[in-house]
Amino acid sequence: MVLTFPAEAIDEPITYTLIKEYDVMINILNADITHGREGNLLIEMSGREMDVHEALVYLESKQIEISPVIKNILFNESRCIHCGACASVCFSGALEIDTTSRELKFNPEKCIACELCIKACPLQLFELNFGVN
Amino acid sequence: MVLTAEEVSEMGKTHSAREIARKVDVVTTGTFSPMCSSGVFINVGHADPPIRIEKATLNGVPVFTGLAAVDLYIGATENHPENPAYGGAHVIEELIKGIDVELIAHAKGTDCYPRKDIHTTINRSNINEMIMFNPRNAYQNYPVAVNSSKKIMYTYMGSLLPKLGNANYCTSGELSPLLNDPRLRTIGVGTRIFLGGTTGYISWHGTQFLTDTGTNEHGVPVSNAATLAVIGNAKAMSSDFIKAAYFEKYGVSIFIGIGIPIPVLDEEMASRVMIRNDQITACIEDYGDPDKPVIGRITYAELQTGEISLNQKKIRTASLSSFYKARIIADLLKKEVAEGRFLLSEPVEKFPHSKELNTLDIR
Repeated sequence: MVLTFPAEAIDEPITYTLIKEYDVMINILNADITHGREGNLLIEMSGREMDVHEALVYLESKQIEISPVIKNILFNESRCIHCGACASVCFSGALEIDTTSRELKFNPEKCIACELCIKACPLQLFELNFGVN
Repeated sequence: MVLTAEEVSEMGKTHSAREIARKVDVVTTGTFSPMCSSGVFINVGHADPPIRIEKATLNGVPVFTGLAAVDLYIGATENHPENPAYGGAHVIEELIKGIDVELIAHAKGTDCYPRKDIHTTINRSNINEMIMFNPRNAYQNYPVAVNSSKKIMYTYMGSLLPKLGNANYCTSGELSPLLNDPRLRTIGVGTRIFLGGTTGYISWHGTQFLTDTGTNEHGVPVSNAATLAVIGNAKAMSSDFIKAAYFEKYGVSIFIGIGIPIPVLDEEMASRVMIRNDQITACIEDYGDPDKPVIGRITYAELQTGEISLNQKKIRTASLSSFYKARIIADLLKKEVAEGRFLLSEPVEKFPHSKELNTLDIR
């Protein structure tokens, strides 16, 4: 998920609080934070269902916007030539060449936004989009 | 009867070579892969007053001008000096699409070509010739690439993940033109082909053409062997079959779509076109080692499953060659041949029977 922080929340130790007080595991995949400006953190969060739920309630109470990751991967499917260069680097299996049709299939739910496909695609059809949009 | 190479490979499971030789007249093949050694000759016509172009760029990409006054060669892999991800391949694709391209050219000027500078736009309709000429295309097999080093490598075989993280290959396997006629009996200078969406021709053997590279038990080369130099009218091509590409931290390249019909002359030819992915082997080269040693061999059937076993490790595989598009090309060509619109003929000249490769030594 992408956490979008308003400028006032930048100084708050959000990840520390999530880990220590809500007992959830945080894996930071990417960060785009500047003092005095809205910032973004791309994280993976896991833990007991109840803890995760309370952690999300806490984030919302801090005016932090939570966006599921799938909204932030843009793939220009219509221009794809089904070469397979992206599937080659996709650990999570979100990008796979179908063994029968040999077409590239993108399953956004499996995407962990590691960004390797962005550089691997020879036609630059992938875009990772952080932020409010 | 006209079939694609994939269909005849399937047919080969239940029919003998003799039966196939009797029933099948032509087999069509196809490939759609990055082929770096490609480019387009253009003639932009004469301005008034005329210029004998000495230095030129198209959309900022340098083009070769050492060919008389207004003949230029756009090399696919030449990149824009300030943008590594934009190059000759992109200019070629834009010209094929009919998009305007900016021409800036300079010259010292001569008595008969007094103009020293020109700044204008050109497109597919207002230039004279637009001839694709690719010195090296359609490799007959190519080694699979892996990377045993600790760092990711960015190569023309794509991104190679460290510690044998992935294995990339780049042919269309049983659909591949030169793997269906491995001894090049029916393919040579003058062979009519599908090139970039239109009809083209094989103009010469390609650069780095190599025989004697070692074959497997089915008589098919296991490493990069023969290549083709191809020619065609780029004005009639389609960007569905010519695509500019950029490989991160490697450079600009271009995907070229090629299809070649193979006449099933006799039983020997039939046994060749029946070749299946499980009968075509490729060497595996380790790009992580500076010597690029061969560390194994694998069949295309195994590669296409998406995972292979190497040194007791399971490795994900992927192709850089689009099998999906190769099928489309073979199918299109099948229709053209079957309906009598695409004719086959004997090559005007056969390819070299035996050829070795030189290396570039420091002399």
